[in-house]
Amino acid sequence: MTASAEKSTMNRREFIALTAVATGELAAFGMSGWAQNKLELDPDSVTNTDYVTDVLVVGGGMAGLFAAVKAHDAGASTLIVSKGRLGSSGLTPFAKGFFTYDPAVESMSIDEFTNAISRSALGTNNPVYTRQLAEHSLARAKELREWGFFDQTLANRPFMVPIQERGIPLIERVVITHLIKENGKIAGAAGFRLDAEETITIVAKTIILCTGAGAFKPNGFPVCDLTHDGTVMAYQIGAKVTGKEWNDGHTTRSVNPAACYDNWGDMFNRIPSTNGVEVHHDLGVDLNYRAYVTGNPVSGGPGGGPVTEEVAGGPFVPEEFQRDFGPPSGGPPGEGDAPGGRPDRGGGPPPGEGGAPGGPPGGGMAGSTMGGASAGMAIHKAEGLVPVDDRCASNIPGLYAAGDALGSYMSGGIYTQIGSSLAGSAVQGAIAGEAAAEYAAQSKVPAIPDTRLKEIINDILAPLRREEGYGPAWVTQTLQGIMIPNFVLYIKRAAMLKAALAFVEELRDHHAPMLRAANMHELRLVFETRNMILSAEMKLRASLMRTESRCSHYRLDYPDLDEENWRAWINIFKGDDGSMQLEKQSFDSWPLQ
Amino acid sequence: MTIKSINGCIGCEECVKSCPCDVIRMDPDSKKAVIAFPADCQICHLCRMYCPVDAIEMSPEKSIPVITSWG
Repeated sequence: MTASAEKSTMNRREFIALTAVATGELAAFGMSGWAQNKLELDPDSVTNTDYVTDVLVVGGGMAGLFAAVKAHDAGASTLIVSKGRLGSSGLTPFAKGFFTYDPAVESMSIDEFTNAISRSALGTNNPVYTRQLAEHSLARAKELREWGFFDQTLANRPFMVPIQERGIPLIERVVITHLIKENGKIAGAAGFRLDAEETITIVAKTIILCTGAGAFKPNGFPVCDLTHDGTVMAYQIGAKVTGKEWNDGHTTRSVNPAACYDNWGDMFNRIPSTNGVEVHHDLGVDLNYRAYVTGNPVSGGPGGGPVTEEVAGGPFVPEEFQRDFGPPSGGPPGEGDAPGGRPDRGGGPPPGEGGAPGGPPGGGMAGSTMGGASAGMAIHKAEGLVPVDDRCASNIPGLYAAGDALGSYMSGGIYTQIGSSLAGSAVQGAIAGEAAAEYAAQSKVPAIPDTRLKEIINDILAPLRREEGYGPAWVTQTLQGIMIPNFVLYIKRAAMLKAALAFVEELRDHHAPMLRAANMHELRLVFETRNMILSAEMKLRASLMRTESRCSHYRLDYPDLDEENWRAWINIFKGDDGSMQLEKQSFDSWPLQ
Repeated sequence: MTIKSINGCIGCEECVKSCPCDVIRMDPDSKKAVIAFPADCQICHLCRMYCPVDAIEMSPEKSIPVITSWG
């Protein structure tokens, strides 16, 4: 029986019974809404440990690895903290293509490469960061090769080589929740451990956010631990943030859509490899557009399957970068950091990354191809802190970001160079590490008043002390229901964006402050949920402001490029009254400080 | 059930550390890994891949309702 036949034969009583079962299941998994907090620990017995360092690296992926190594090698005392395990959290474990620009091999000069990226990105890239990627990628690949990165499938092993050689302190499974600014400069950070009833406070001269980007814990792509933590913490202390209107385009399958491994198995199992210049304009959102116009409003969603006819309109692809993906390959691409491309072309997306043509089938997954697997994530290197220079510095002295936590626009508002995501994180991590070490060498150890630290620790523990409140998992699912539908996040128009914004403001004002946590795991979910809510607000406001369509941002009510008004990025910052403010910054310029 | 079962655990904690979403914890009494928060499993199989004794069995099904862009 097909799904639609099932639906049509279901009577009202059966529907109610099913709903009751679903609700019961939610409660069983701790997904109740407002409820009593069944506390599993005593918040008053939570201890605190403090640390002091020159450079604090937050995040243990590719960017964090190089940030720590280079900061240490430049003479700074360096500490890495990670929400997960080094090399086994965020997107690093799954990205296997590493772009290198080798002048001995490439026929394109670096100038020509940078220009090709700019043409594909329709001007949205920052050519300074694009060029930097090409100039430094080969050196980073060489170091990774020495550590054994290109000989394995489990990145923790090679990542630990330089960390252990240098004796760089590493604290894993720590959730950083607050950045601390004193006298206008970075002074430290605070958070808590997952495995102990313990908060931690860190006095740091500089901080490098290598926290990755984020999404809405979507189904079908391994980004459920990425919740814009760095971006939102930095926004809260006055950093400028950018890139929120763009959309990553990875896909999943309609049967067991949450099964990341089953859909992307080859990518998980593959040994990393390098690849040369290969500039694309892989949208992903063109599949979402096709889904919207061929089925959505009428029949509740398209069935996918082979494409028999073209649809009119939709996202613009420059003629130079239009591709024919050929016969169906039967599964998602084989690499980690290429968007799904145009899997509508017969159920098989374009070839994978890393110079390995012909995306192999997934692990036998069934069902039609479906967009939105990475819902909530923008284009790699496009969203995050606004850089004020070419060394990954933010507008807050002492605060740096690298990789997917930096809105460097290395690639632009579209994923352009294959394999650039992983390589870009390595390149920027190294640059930020050296820049932060230099800054630290000229700075004194900051002082953070005890009263301020106590206030922050109280804020961290507040969800544990709440006698009743909203469950973070329930609020997250409510947010997903608002933000993930194709007609909100991908195919945008003003009325729908404003409607979603009203819902998100409600979550921000009346749910985020009343989240409860029974244990340290739920405490993590509380902060992740809050960060996703603020990122949702940013995405909706930036999408409303950008009254044109360009790259991965598509407005149904403004379907064309607007070269007169929109050769500009959107920066987001917290206004003096606490409200979210947005401003334009012209392409090819740095923000005013 | 996402991560489905752990049988034959030797208590090395590799899976606990390698899970990006903090799904697995050590049982303080048995000193073996247990599935503590299955709703948060993203079905990435890193726990299974890091396990040195192939103790972990996976399923492609999520244990909670799944929200997608369409369908």
